[in-house]
Amino acid sequence: MKQQAGAAALSPANGMTRGNRWKPAALKTALMLAPFVVFGLFLLFHNVNPVTLYISMIQSTFGDLYGFGEVLLKATPFILTGLAAALPAKAGLVNVGGEGQLAIGALFSTWFAVFYLDAMPAALGIPLMLLAGALGGGLWAAVTALLKVKGGLNETITSLLLNYVAAFTVGFFVHGLLKDPNSFNWPFSPEIASSLRLPVVNGTRLHVGILLALVLAAVTWYVLARTRLGFRIRVIGSNRFAAERAGFRINRTYFWVLVAGGMLAGIAGMIEIAGIEGRLRASTGVNYGYLGFLAAMMAWNHPLRIVLTGFILGMISVAGNTLEIASGLPASSVHILMGLVLFFILGSGRRSS
Amino acid sequence: MKTDHPVKPAYLLRAAGLTKRFGSLTANEGIDLEVRPGQIHAILGENGAGKSTLMKMLYGVYEPDEGTVLMDGEPAVLYPPSRARAKGIGMVFQDFRLIPAMTVLESIALAVESGFALRRKQLRARILEVSRKYGLAVDPDAYVWQLDLGQRQRLEIVKVLLAPGTRVIIFDEPTSVLVPQEVEKFLDMLDKLRKDRYGILLITHKINEVLACADQVSVLRAGRMVYQSDQVDSGDGDKLISAMMGEKTLNPVTKQGMHGEEREPILQLKDGTIRGDHGEPVLEGVHLTLRKSEITGVAGISGNGQRELAEVLFGLRKLGTGELTIASAVMNDASTKEFMEAGVTFVSEDPIKESVIPGFSILEHMILDGIEAPVKGANIDWARAQKLLEDSEEARALALADGSRRADQLSGGNVQRMVLSRALIRKPDILIISYPSRGLDIGTTRTIQQQLIELAKQGTAVLLFSEDLDELFKLSDRLVVLSGKKLLGPYDTHETDVSRIGERMLKGESA
Repeated sequence: MKQQAGAAALSPANGMTRGNRWKPAALKTALMLAPFVVFGLFLLFHNVNPVTLYISMIQSTFGDLYGFGEVLLKATPFILTGLAAALPAKAGLVNVGGEGQLAIGALFSTWFAVFYLDAMPAALGIPLMLLAGALGGGLWAAVTALLKVKGGLNETITSLLLNYVAAFTVGFFVHGLLKDPNSFNWPFSPEIASSLRLPVVNGTRLHVGILLALVLAAVTWYVLARTRLGFRIRVIGSNRFAAERAGFRINRTYFWVLVAGGMLAGIAGMIEIAGIEGRLRASTGVNYGYLGFLAAMMAWNHPLRIVLTGFILGMISVAGNTLEIASGLPASSVHILMGLVLFFILGSGRRSS
Repeated sequence: MKTDHPVKPAYLLRAAGLTKRFGSLTANEGIDLEVRPGQIHAILGENGAGKSTLMKMLYGVYEPDEGTVLMDGEPAVLYPPSRARAKGIGMVFQDFRLIPAMTVLESIALAVESGFALRRKQLRARILEVSRKYGLAVDPDAYVWQLDLGQRQRLEIVKVLLAPGTRVIIFDEPTSVLVPQEVEKFLDMLDKLRKDRYGILLITHKINEVLACADQVSVLRAGRMVYQSDQVDSGDGDKLISAMMGEKTLNPVTKQGMHGEEREPILQLKDGTIRGDHGEPVLEGVHLTLRKSEITGVAGISGNGQRELAEVLFGLRKLGTGELTIASAVMNDASTKEFMEAGVTFVSEDPIKESVIPGFSILEHMILDGIEAPVKGANIDWARAQKLLEDSEEARALALADGSRRADQLSGGNVQRMVLSRALIRKPDILIISYPSRGLDIGTTRTIQQQLIELAKQGTAVLLFSEDLDELFKLSDRLVVLSGKKLLGPYDTHETDVSRIGERMLKGESA
């Protein structure tokens, strides 16, 4: 070792690193812009001027308070379901179940809101409703976690398949036990009490859910980066053999990390109900779990970066509406853009830090 | 197979001024080297001296930053490995790159055959011919997973010999996986290759082998050639060691007053059956007693149940039948955590796979197991942990690299230092340690050996797995041998010798 250090001191080998330093940054910028260029070609093909379209997309999201509020509104569930994927990912697990965990969280919180919390003041009712959402998401994730820990089943597969079960379960309830008696037979739940609705910023639909998402992202980051528990989780995720040899109880961690992820997604479901929709529909939060998974991948599962990637995905979602109005293309065309963004980010390889 | 050259230079390969840098680290600087037909050129050096880097440049894994390689009198570009192979350079790696689900024939076909169809018959004939010619016994139809390490190595060698045009063969620490009897055969084979005018590069840190077979010897230290000679005499041992070590002095390993008396048993395994990964019995009827202040050595060809036995004694694998007790407490169903609480520490046989956590620093590895993590709120007090690490005598004695360095970027030897100092810091009651000197240079090997002896003197029961019989004899009070699903012994090291143990390793009880 001493000798290696000596050899290092002798060598004049620092010349090449400086010249190459700007290269990664330039490459990163190029990779960030590339999806917009490719999507621009697609737009040109449809006789839409990409430049004017991008400008109007930016205006619709940053141009006024309402638009910006919409972006934050969309970003909220993406951040939470992103965390639901990222936290288990740190322990080496792939949780694709944010979608179902969100749905069951929404179901639980609606159920509690409609049947038990109806007459409660906001200060008590909203936290209880939040807990109900977390409980629902956590229980749903616990199914996957139990199958993983007790049965050795792959959590990627089970969490994915349970998404469909969750969607049908929500459908079952909104068509039956939870159907609004005054809905003229439409499949949705009764509206929750107005006292249970989240406070809203004037002039927008933006509610306090985004603050909750930011706090939970910060907490997740803190736990992972700055606590013994987080250290253990990261060890297990990085090398389970080493964790085993250090005497860690791996299965127990697997279980609780998945459940905690499910709770985060369940909270996203509660926020959708209490913040935006006010009642449960079969369509509540559809695809948010998958987009959150995308946000987590784009952020390489870093909890704070998920805030950023969730925000970007929120922006693209909102801009989709503009795209429809301004260009006549269907709003779902933005999914192409989202796909391209992910594609280029994954293509850029593992984090270079 | 081999091509004859009309204009015959005296060498097959001549490297001049090879230099390779990794960032600010110069791994090789200005290396000159010649490989001649029909000669064995031994390359000696400690860990991190730059042996592997040099070989990887010659095999085309790395592109040299400076310097040239001449082959057939012309400059040759060897990067990437496909070019090196096309120029007739073959390499037998230390960690074999084989696919367990393939047969020997298929593995060889993968490397040797070109074209679409697999001509089994023809290839089989060629395999058998080469294996007969050089005494390389391999069964073409055996699956790779069935082979022990010695057989895998022979397979690799056959592969290299059958590759078209091979004339330079690089062996990377070839004898580290072999028992003494196999080493002899290996040296015989090298001799035959030499007679057939292959150029051979032999990387090793075993001086005796160099003295036994090499025609030329080069010693690397800190990335430079510090010694080169076209002559190797049997009396050169000390000269070579001092060239490798430089200024450093070599501590002799001493062991005194440990022989004889019966000591108090601490761990006992009675009539144990130990199963492998697929539920098959690997060891049956195992009786093993570890005693305080005693080093028990485990000899045996790799793959005879060493890993499984070690894992059972640390709760990583459930004992099939039988009873395992530590200080009279039954441990059959205990978790790893309970084994740790009972005072057992474990050094895995494959620390790079099983101990190194990608992206984590050395300090973080030390906290996992070793240094008791100082608590600060919900977090670990990293500053104090760092201080504890700096103050640790064990870490200093083993010249552990800086605590902030990432463990996955360390060389194999430095990883070994890390897991060893971690185990020593714990001052365990029972230490299960596999291959402590694997990948370590002579100096560090002696330090770790001395530390194991000191640890035993202080009362630790040590179970030492090693593939190096000299090491086993030097350190152990008793030896057991794993062979043919049995644990044989214990044998008192003062009443047996290397060749008898070697016989038992190969032939089991009948020997």
